[in-house]
Amino acid sequence: MKSEIRRIILVLIVICLSFVGIIGYMSYFQVFEAESVKMNSYNKRLWINEENILRGSIADRKGRILAYSEKQDNQMKRFYKYGSLYSHIIGYSYREYGKAGLELIYNNQLLNINENSAIDELINIVAPNTIGNNLELTIDHGTQEKARALLSGKKGAIVAMNPKNGEIYAMVSLPDFNVTSLKDDWGTISEDANSPLLNRATQGLYPPGSSFKVITSAAILKNQALSNDYKCTGTTTINGYVFKDYQEGGHGNLNLSQALAQSCNTYFTTKSLELGGELLRNTAEDFMFNKSIPFDMPVKISSFPSGKLGDTDLAASAIGQGKVLATPLNMVMVASSIANNGEMVRPVLVKKILSSDGKVIKLNRSETISQAVDSLKANEIKEMMVGVIREGTGKKASIRNVQVAGKTGTAENASGKSHAWFIGFAPVSDPKIAISVVLEEEGSTGGTSAAPIARDLIIYGLNNINF
Amino acid sequence: MLKNGVSPKSPRNLLFLFEVLSLFLLFIYQWESVNRYTYITGIGLIFIIYISNLILNRISKGDNYIFLIVTMLISIGVIMIYRIDSELGVKQLIWLSFGIFIFYLTYFTLRFIRGWQKWITLYIGVAYILFILTFILGTRKYGAINWIQIGSFSFQPAEITKILLIFILASYYSNTEKFKKYKNAKYYIMLIVYSFIGLLFLQKDLGTALIFYGIFVAIQFIYEEDRRLILYNLGLFAIGGIIGYGLFDHVKVRILTWIDPWSYIDNKGYQITQSLFAIAEGGFFGTGLGLGHPEFIPLAYTDFIFPAICEEMGLFAGIGIIMLFLILVYRGFKIALSQINPFFRILALGVSILFGVQSIIILGGVLKVLPLTGITLPFVSYGGSSVLSSFIVLGILQVASEDLPIDEDLKLEEENNEIRD
Repeated sequence: MKSEIRRIILVLIVICLSFVGIIGYMSYFQVFEAESVKMNSYNKRLWINEENILRGSIADRKGRILAYSEKQDNQMKRFYKYGSLYSHIIGYSYREYGKAGLELIYNNQLLNINENSAIDELINIVAPNTIGNNLELTIDHGTQEKARALLSGKKGAIVAMNPKNGEIYAMVSLPDFNVTSLKDDWGTISEDANSPLLNRATQGLYPPGSSFKVITSAAILKNQALSNDYKCTGTTTINGYVFKDYQEGGHGNLNLSQALAQSCNTYFTTKSLELGGELLRNTAEDFMFNKSIPFDMPVKISSFPSGKLGDTDLAASAIGQGKVLATPLNMVMVASSIANNGEMVRPVLVKKILSSDGKVIKLNRSETISQAVDSLKANEIKEMMVGVIREGTGKKASIRNVQVAGKTGTAENASGKSHAWFIGFAPVSDPKIAISVVLEEEGSTGGTSAAPIARDLIIYGLNNINF
Repeated sequence: MLKNGVSPKSPRNLLFLFEVLSLFLLFIYQWESVNRYTYITGIGLIFIIYISNLILNRISKGDNYIFLIVTMLISIGVIMIYRIDSELGVKQLIWLSFGIFIFYLTYFTLRFIRGWQKWITLYIGVAYILFILTFILGTRKYGAINWIQIGSFSFQPAEITKILLIFILASYYSNTEKFKKYKNAKYYIMLIVYSFIGLLFLQKDLGTALIFYGIFVAIQFIYEEDRRLILYNLGLFAIGGIIGYGLFDHVKVRILTWIDPWSYIDNKGYQITQSLFAIAEGGFFGTGLGLGHPEFIPLAYTDFIFPAICEEMGLFAGIGIIMLFLILVYRGFKIALSQINPFFRILALGVSILFGVQSIIILGGVLKVLPLTGITLPFVSYGGSSVLSSFIVLGILQVASEDLPIDEDLKLEEENNEIRD
């Protein structure tokens, strides 16, 4: 019976391959997935280490302590000095509710657990350490406080960063929650329809509205044939869909610079049809749309619609409506790249990891992640954005003695109340701070509500941050 | 029958060394709580394993490596169980001693009683009786009604019925000539096996149901002349799976928590995620014996012993265990190929497939490669029924590894066209 033996061997092969497959998967799991699995806050082993190791402290860029641990009656206790101010940045670390924010992402560094190599593992077994590492953030505590004060009572997010080296000076998302009273508030926080647990700066996806016109302008500049003037009559109809301007009766004759300053919808929608979806998408992707942004925290991917766009979709996309969605972090990076000669740098939140005796273990340096536009065009757009502040929709962001560049946005959305946007940077001659402000369902224009917030924060930042 | 290139003596000594070293580690770890039982367990383990390997060499001329492989698995298992719960470790050692006794008992019974291939009706009858008993006397344990409790002694009948299944299949396929007289014999066999699987479904013992199915399909694939039946089987499996998913909540839960356990982390997905945490935490070399946290893994001493071992002994120990099972299955198949007695040949195949399928299902389960079903890892997990049945099965393999005559009675029977069943 030849076939019997053949079949027996076949069954044996199937079983052996299954075993080998399991071994293969186990090795894969250990090499590629184990690290992130271990980080899950439901892993009780994280808390065992917690009891034996003094968790490191977290400080701002000037060394002001924001969170620290102390040993009290043989128990490690974590203190957060500023309640809800850092609820989305530092997060929390509690046995009952797990970990969030940097407390979660930098857990191993805060506890000084290295398990990168087999040797480290052996060292940890033989001589476990008892003091964790400290983090120094790029955040400026004063600016953070100021940003939250400016936003208080509203829903939305503010991000302020250095356009050249990517350091994040402030990142606020409201509503937030008080990490020191999580025990009492947990029920209401986790069920609140306004989702206070959500970090809107990195996880909120909003239609960018007219602030997206900065990107559309970059695309238009790539195509010289489009630079001719255009007469705005207040409305334009594309495939039966009417795009309206805020100014009734239209803006009259416009060039690109004036169109951006006045945020003329009809200009951009009409030009977009000549531009084509391909070029606009490529430009948006150079500004990190549809791409994951490397950061110390997880960031949602901003989206620009894929595939071939119909005329209406294309026109809506050109003014940041339709299916275009962006995170506030991405939008501040858009402003930053214009400020920084078209180079978009990686945002940085954790500046240094320091050992307990003050030695720098890791220094986080930024790098260019995308050349969004070439420097010539970046400077052209910069000039146009100055125009927005000087004589356009962003007048309320202007500061005496300091030249500001920016772009406002008023994004329509399903709620019926528009989101108010402002992105910009200052000083124009040597940009030190870039800002994005989004006020969720504010119901007013970016120029009236978001621009003044940006102005106040820029003034505070320029006067107080140690650049 | 199988020529051994290396004397079994040297692996026996290596095993001895492994046990001494790991027990030494265990003593250091539990230094404060070391007591009389610790010594009894330690010395008992080494003694029982060393002696039984020694004896086996004198008695059996068959494959003496399979018992060595199994003793290695036992050693790892009992040390881990003892580390998790010293009381259970001592109990497990008692079960193992009893298991080894049962191993020899099976060996001699099977070797010296003739005519095992003739009693198919008996096997089927006993299997059904055990199923009925389970339904009448059964108690629920970990969600499945598959335990019979008599006094303080609880027992899992499915551990015996899976052996009976192998006997039924071996009796049938080694006597196909005889059964040809019954017109639809092959359908009856299929019906019987599927009724077993259905009953296991009702008892919510999905893991064992899968084992039954695996053994049946594999044996059928090798021996069934009517190839269509195999396709029917695969079709039935798909249909049964879909119906089971729609009809039974417990099937649905297994599938959902397999696809995404993280969404159900604090209830239904708890077990599997805790298992993954443990394996992830172990890394390549493990935390070291006594330095991990198997107490966080539910049922770490039985179904989830593998992640507990991976956590403390590392990925390499885990791979080692899988390799041991691979060699065990490989040798089992080799035994089957060298066996000329068709009944014992199929028995050897069934037994090897049983070891293979059972370990793949639970290893795949705790690693989230397959949906998790609660069954034991043979020889490693704690549990009386599991240990005893595994040793019975090993005894069968040991007999099958020897030169056995083709039963003369059977030949005569066939010639006379006599049917006794």
